[in-house]
Amino acid sequence: MIDVKKLWSKRQSAHMTEKLKYFSLMANSGLIVSSFLLIIIGSVYYAKLLKVLPEHFPAVLILTIVFSFWLTRSPIRTLLKEGDLVFLLPVESGMKYYFSKSLSSAMASGSFSTLFLFTLMWPIVQVFITDGWMMYVVFGFFLIVSKVFNLYVSWEERRLPYKSHQLNYRIIRFIVNFVYVFLLFEEAYLFLIAMFAIMYVLKNFVFGIFKKMHGYQWELLLAEEQTLKMKSYRLVNLFTDVPALKQMVNKRPWLNSIGTFSFKKGNAMSALYMKTFIRLGDYLGLFVRLTLIGFLFLYLIPKGWWQLAVVLLFFQLLALQLFTLFTQYKWNVSFTIYPIKPSVKMNAFTNWLRQILIVQGAVYGIFYGILTSDWLIAVLMPAAAVLFSLVRLPALAKKHC
Amino acid sequence: MKPILEVTELTGGYMPNQPVIHELNFTVNESEIVGLIGLNGAGKSTTIKHVLGLMEPMSGSSKINGQTFREEPEEYRSQFTYIPEMPILYDELTLWEHLELTAMAYGMEEQTFLTRVRPLLEEFRMDNKIKWFPSQFSKGMKQKVMILCALLVEPKLYIVDEPFVGLDPLGIQSFLEYMVTFKNSGAGVLMSTHILSTAERYCDRFLIMHEGRLVLGGTLQELRTKSGLADATLDEIYLYVARGNVT
Repeated sequence: MIDVKKLWSKRQSAHMTEKLKYFSLMANSGLIVSSFLLIIIGSVYYAKLLKVLPEHFPAVLILTIVFSFWLTRSPIRTLLKEGDLVFLLPVESGMKYYFSKSLSSAMASGSFSTLFLFTLMWPIVQVFITDGWMMYVVFGFFLIVSKVFNLYVSWEERRLPYKSHQLNYRIIRFIVNFVYVFLLFEEAYLFLIAMFAIMYVLKNFVFGIFKKMHGYQWELLLAEEQTLKMKSYRLVNLFTDVPALKQMVNKRPWLNSIGTFSFKKGNAMSALYMKTFIRLGDYLGLFVRLTLIGFLFLYLIPKGWWQLAVVLLFFQLLALQLFTLFTQYKWNVSFTIYPIKPSVKMNAFTNWLRQILIVQGAVYGIFYGILTSDWLIAVLMPAAAVLFSLVRLPALAKKHC
Repeated sequence: MKPILEVTELTGGYMPNQPVIHELNFTVNESEIVGLIGLNGAGKSTTIKHVLGLMEPMSGSSKINGQTFREEPEEYRSQFTYIPEMPILYDELTLWEHLELTAMAYGMEEQTFLTRVRPLLEEFRMDNKIKWFPSQFSKGMKQKVMILCALLVEPKLYIVDEPFVGLDPLGIQSFLEYMVTFKNSGAGVLMSTHILSTAERYCDRFLIMHEGRLVLGGTLQELRTKSGLADATLDEIYLYVARGNVT
C-alpha cells in the first residue's frame, strides 16, 4: 500500500533538491552578477520613468489590470508524475491529504510572489495613490487574501472535467478580482467588505459544490503539472543545460515556405534539418537571441574592422549551439536506416548551417551598415560567414562524426 | 525461388564474448512471408537489428541480394523498409511530411510518390489527417504512420517487428492485405509477431527462436513432422518448443 502522507513530503523534498541543484548551476553561470547588474540598471530607469509619467497617469486602472490577471492565474504544482495515473488511482480517496498539501504550498509561494510583485509596484503606488508603510501593509494584506482565495477556489475549479467549463469560472474569478483590486486601490474599504460577502458565497455555494459532483481530473492535473515543470525548466535552460527539457513543437506555419524543398533525394536531409530548425524546441529562438545580442555588441563597440572579429565570434557561438541539431535523430531508427551515407547526411547538415550563418552575417551587415554607414565592413560580414563556414565547419563536423 | 535475405551462421550480441544470438541460418525468399516467433527475450529483435545493419555480427553474415551491409551500405539499405515495434516519429513533421521525407530519402520520383500515397492514405483511413503532427496521434495512428512509410517505398524486402499491437482490426486487415499483394508481386517479408493465429494464416514459413537459437523452422507441415506433433496448431507447437522440449 502506498503511504500517501509520506509521498508528498518525499516528492517535495526531491523537488526542492532539484531546484537547489539547478539554482547552484545557474549561480555558477554568472546569474548572480548579471541579475545584480540588471536590478541596478532597471531601478535607475524605473526611477526615471516614474518622473516622466504624466500627472494623470491611470495608475489605479493599470495596477488593477495587472493584479486581476496575476490573481486569476493560479498555478498549483501538484508534483504528479505520469505513472501516478496508474499507481495512485487505487488510493484516490486517500489523496485528499496529498492535494491539500500541494494546495497549501501553492498558497505559500503564491502569497510570497504576490507580495514580491506588489513591492515592485510600490513606487507607482507611492507616487500616484498613497504613501506610508501602513498602506503597504494594508494593500499587501488584501492582495494576499485574494491570492489565497483564488488558489482555493481554483482548486475546486480544477474538478470540472472540461477545460471550457473551467474557463467560464476563471472569467467569473477575473471579474471578481478586477472589482476587488479596483476597490482596494480606490481605497473604498466599505465596498471591499461587501466583496468579501460575494467571495464567501462563491466559495461555499458555487465552487464549493464541485466537490460533491466531480472527482479529481487526473489527466488535466498531470498536464498542468507538466506544463509548469517545462516552464520552469525552460527558464533554467536560459542559463544552463536541462536534459529533461522536452522539446516543444511550434508549428509556425508562416515559415513553411523556408522549409519547402524540391522533390529529390538530395534534398531529403536539407528539408528535414530546415523543418527541425524552424519548428522544434528552441533552435529558432536561439538564432534570434544570438542575433539580437550580436546587435547589442555591434552597437556598443566603436566602429572599425574589429567588428568583423566580433561577428566571427558570434558565428562560432551559433555554429556550436546549432550542432546539437545534428545529433537530434540519434534514436530515430527510420533516420538511421535511410539508404543515405552518413557523409551525405553530414554534408547536407553543414550546407544547411552555412546558409544559416550567411543569413546571420547578412543581417549583421545590414544592421552595421545602417548604424555606421561603413558599408565596406558591412559587406565583409556575410563574406566572413562564407569564410568561417569554409574553414571552421569541416573541423566541427569531424568532431561530431 | 530466389533468396532475398540470406543469414548465415550469424552470431552477435551487445557485449564482446556474450553473444545473444547463436549461429543463425535462415533465408527469406521472393514471394514469401516468413514468421519469426519466440518468447520475449528469445533474440528476435536482436536478430532484426543485425539484419537492419544496426549491429555488427561477431561472426557470420546477413546478405540482401548477395551483399552485406559492410560491402554496400547504401545499396543494402535501399532494398528494404522496416516497421519497428515502437513507432518513432519526428515530432516536428506532419503525417504528409513524414511520407514525403521517406519518399525522398529512398529516392522515389515525385510522380510515383503522388500516385502511391493517396490510395495508401485512404486504405488506412488517414487521408483526412495529413496535416496532423505526431502529438495529436494515438499509439495506433503512430503505428499506421510507420506502416504507411514502409509500404510507400515498395521495396523487395519488408522487415516487420510486431506490427499488430495498438492497431485497430481494420488497420490489421489492410496491412495484411497489402503484405499479401506485395508478396504476390515478388516481395519477401520477415515478420516477428506473437499473434500466432494470424501468423499461421498468413506466413508461408516459420522460424521459432528459443534462447538465441533457431530451434525449429519450416512450413507448418514441416514443423509438425519435426516436432512429432501431428495435426498440432502453430500455438501448440510453439508452446511445446517454448517449454524447452526441442533443442
